[in-house]
Amino acid sequence: MKGRKLATYCGLIYAFLYLPLAVMFAFSFNDARRNVVWKGFTFKWYALLFHDAELLGALATTLKLALVAAFIASALGMLASYAMTRHPAFRGRGVYSGLLSVPLMMPEIVMGVGLLSFFVRAHIPLNFWTLAFAHAVIALPYTASSIRARLLSLKDSRLEDAAMDLGATEWQAFLKITLPLARPAILSGALLAFTVSFEDFVTSFFIAGIGIVTMPIKIYSMMKFGVTPEINALACCLLALTVGLLAANKVLGGASEA
Amino acid sequence: MTSAVAAAPDKAHIPPAGKVSTWLSWLVGGKRPLASHLMLAPATIWLLLFLLLPVGVLLAHSVAQRGPYGAVVWAFTSANFARALDPKYLPVLLRTFGYATTTTVLCLVLGFPVAYFLSFYAGKRRETLMVMLMIPFWTSCLVAIYSWIIILGREGLLNNALVSLGLIQTRFQILNTPYAVILGMVYFYIPFMVLPLYSSLEKIPRSLIEASYDLGAGAPATFMKITLPLALPGVFAGCILTFIPCMGDFLTAEFLGGPRTYLIGNLIQNQFLMAQDWPFGSALTALLLITLVVGLVIYQKIEARELETA
Repeated sequence: MKGRKLATYCGLIYAFLYLPLAVMFAFSFNDARRNVVWKGFTFKWYALLFHDAELLGALATTLKLALVAAFIASALGMLASYAMTRHPAFRGRGVYSGLLSVPLMMPEIVMGVGLLSFFVRAHIPLNFWTLAFAHAVIALPYTASSIRARLLSLKDSRLEDAAMDLGATEWQAFLKITLPLARPAILSGALLAFTVSFEDFVTSFFIAGIGIVTMPIKIYSMMKFGVTPEINALACCLLALTVGLLAANKVLGGASEA
Repeated sequence: MTSAVAAAPDKAHIPPAGKVSTWLSWLVGGKRPLASHLMLAPATIWLLLFLLLPVGVLLAHSVAQRGPYGAVVWAFTSANFARALDPKYLPVLLRTFGYATTTTVLCLVLGFPVAYFLSFYAGKRRETLMVMLMIPFWTSCLVAIYSWIIILGREGLLNNALVSLGLIQTRFQILNTPYAVILGMVYFYIPFMVLPLYSSLEKIPRSLIEASYDLGAGAPATFMKITLPLALPGVFAGCILTFIPCMGDFLTAEFLGGPRTYLIGNLIQNQFLMAQDWPFGSALTALLLITLVVGLVIYQKIEARELETA
């Protein structure tokens, strides 16, 4: 009885969470300039998206950015997590562990204005690379924690010890045993990092400079400009992409637990 | 260098230069702290360069003066902080604090039953429900804001629905009010609350709860004496994780709020991108950071005490 009531309550909360997504989905097919009245079914907003060169350019930039950021965050996260979990305890490990989680605790607006001040003060031009490096910082906690969890769960298997007993050097054991076993976690961390970078608005907003237009920045300027149903169609495409990335992450997560 | 003598007894020492694979083995083996520090160096340098140094610049700017044309002049002053606390801006800071607190409390009250259900009643559907909780969380917040504008507007879906159902005669204003901003924030941050709550509820041994029932405690007593105290770490973690992003939020207020819901995030954004008063903007950011650091320290104190008593 109590469970039934709680289930109903949860249903309401989930409905609240999904209401905006449902509205966005429904109205992306609405044949009206103004968003609030249903005028009939159309695909024209989707068609419009694929002919919007600016939008496609923004998509390309965002994808490239996310790839670079995910790559850097995975590499840094792998090295750091390995030393944190596989090396014997050393002085200062707590400090590193704290440092690695700072980006999670930092409100994005602080990251944004801080990086802006820093780059301008240091006369570093704002471009694609500075933005990608900043995204890597935001994404690092996600890759590090994903890889750390996997390496910890592998700790008991002692496969590396076996390899070394059979004459492999530490480096060979790392390359042939640890790295392949950690691969699903590295990939799943990289996917999270990719998603983080892809969705990031606040940091990009402050440090994108003039020439760089990412997808969220483009959406922001479309929203500032006025209400257009094109945003709904675009949002649906992005949502499909996000769900795809999360599904891939889930599959990889399952693989790394097995 | 008589390598045969040197290498055998003490492999952990720094190997001779030259052989790359020996070096890599030494690095990966990690028998020396130096190897660990070296492996952590890339991430550390990255974070120092792109996280701590920027915050340092920000703090330095917060006590500098504003020069002509938005330049920053290095001359110590506390005027920026004084200005942030003067009656013109103080209401903004207090409002931000108030909204963040309200949102956190609402998220806790609304989110706790969800976490409780997921942990105790969801059974096989748990996995699916957890993923479903994550999807709105990973959706771009701009997109969700845009949808809320469609729903909450004066000519929006909510008003339309209520009018056509005959529940109200005159359309009411909710978009561009504090209610809309808080609703938006609750929407964005409720997953931040539910996830830590869920993970701490998950850790409670079910046998403790059964024991409590066996010993004659009713459901309310069991909840108050067993479940809630054991879930407290999750409550604190959830509150911190909700409160921090709420304090720094500016998008929700920008689109769902109006001129009377201006938050510290909007003020900071304005100083950096419009008014070009970086020292003042930096001082506001510094105040924001100080609030958060105080919050985190309190959280750690509480967590440490929890661990002691546990």
